[in-house]
Amino acid sequence: MIEVEGLTKRYGSTLAVDDLSFSVAPGSVTGFLGPNGAGKSTTLRAILGLIRPDTGTTTVLGKAYRNLERPIAQVGALLETFDAHPGRSGRNHLRVLAAAARIPTPRVDELLALVELTDSARRRAKGYSLGMRQRLGLAAALLGDPEVLVLDEPANGLDPQGIRWLRDLLRARARDGGTVLISSHVLAEVAQTVDEVVIIHRGKLIQHAAMAEVEAMAAGSTIVRSPDSDRLAGLLTQAGLDVGLLEGGRLNVAAPSERVGEIAAANGVVLHELTTERATLEEVFLQLTATVESG
Amino acid sequence: MSALVVAEFLKFRTTRSWIGFLLAAVALTAIAAAGTVGSARNDQLGTMALSRDIVSSSVFTAFVAFLIGIMSVTTEWRHGTVTRTFLVTPRRGRVLIAKELWIALLATVLAALAIILVLAIAVTWLAVEGSSLGLDGGVAGFVGRIVIASVLWGMLGVGVGAVVQSQTPALVGAIIWILLVEALITALLGLVDLEVVGEYLPGRALSSFDGTVDGGLTMWAAGAVSLAWVVALGFLGYARMSRQDVT
Repeated sequence: MIEVEGLTKRYGSTLAVDDLSFSVAPGSVTGFLGPNGAGKSTTLRAILGLIRPDTGTTTVLGKAYRNLERPIAQVGALLETFDAHPGRSGRNHLRVLAAAARIPTPRVDELLALVELTDSARRRAKGYSLGMRQRLGLAAALLGDPEVLVLDEPANGLDPQGIRWLRDLLRARARDGGTVLISSHVLAEVAQTVDEVVIIHRGKLIQHAAMAEVEAMAAGSTIVRSPDSDRLAGLLTQAGLDVGLLEGGRLNVAAPSERVGEIAAANGVVLHELTTERATLEEVFLQLTATVESG
Repeated sequence: MSALVVAEFLKFRTTRSWIGFLLAAVALTAIAAAGTVGSARNDQLGTMALSRDIVSSSVFTAFVAFLIGIMSVTTEWRHGTVTRTFLVTPRRGRVLIAKELWIALLATVLAALAIILVLAIAVTWLAVEGSSLGLDGGVAGFVGRIVIASVLWGMLGVGVGAVVQSQTPALVGAIIWILLVEALITALLGLVDLEVVGEYLPGRALSSFDGTVDGGLTMWAAGAVSLAWVVALGFLGYARMSRQDVT
């Protein structure tokens, strides 16, 4: 369980997070979405006790992060900045963390194997590729086998195989009753992983909804072309549908193509084109975030 | 807390910089010891005064402990490892205390090794010259002062690191402070007949304590003043760290 209550954080004259509230329930993966600079990292760092909110509170498992008994055995975190010493090997990086948290060393080797870093584990981290750094970070996050995961852009630098592995891992964690919060600036990237989405923009909450609802928003509209388009537009409007006029006399109708086709058939209107126009998830995402910009 | 101290040792041991520190400590100590024994006049051989000088040539390790102390904190900010450190131990004061305890242990070990090194050099050299090293309670007390001074220097370094945090300014600033600024302040204070206040500056107090400068505060006063600086910088460092945003 993660709870954010009225979180506000200002850096100088920039309002990074503006009275943000949401909660993440156990047993699900929640995507934390927003364009770059929306305040995602600031929010995650506040949850993890790394920055102090100006106002508001954040709790994990009912406590402020700093009051957790065994932080990394309860909450696994990955942040966007690389946090291993470049002169230290990946394995020693994890050993340092394990020593501080009283986690036995065999667990370190277990995780290196899990993230497929065993071969490079004894090399200094400065020579690691972006993907290897990311995998080392994930190993650090999982070191204490925590119930809660807070991951900032975890798919960064991973290859398609790695992304798939991560997705399976996060799904399995949620299935076992874990709480997972992952941030991303690309909705499509996490669409297959998350159950819920929290969308923020300019530090404010835009939408907190089930992924299925967001997908429904992308269900889209129907493009229809008819030699008798004026009459068809009238009929569709009468039926209570939103109709927009496109170039070349085509109509854009906010309804599934079946409905449009049926209305046309019932009234004997000839159709030359009937196309389903599906919005991509990214378009929905852009629309959602654009609404705030205009308002 | 012991787990955090172990983690600090592991941090130190698992990057290569410790080799450089160790070589610097050995080289400085050996040169100082050889210089002290080599320049001794015949009438000084076997005296307790010479033994004290020989022991105090190991004080260079205190300076090395000071630099290690500074860097043990600043390197966390320099490489961003502080993020992970605070994720594992969100009570930041505990991180600082672990570093202070670790440097105290490390400085003790370094000082002990340095003293063994200078004694080995001195005993060998003096044997070749047909003399021997004089030892008495006073010399033994001197050994204790060197060890404690190393611990205090190391802990002072951790405090400086926690207050300043950026590596280069902390290192350069601390060295300039010790070598130049304190003397300058003391000289300026001298203009208004207050040079005695200069004795209370951290570098000067520590040097009075370890006996490498004469005519300053008494040993006990110097020790108390040094400890006060260690505690004050530790608290200042904690005050800065505890409320700080790690971004």
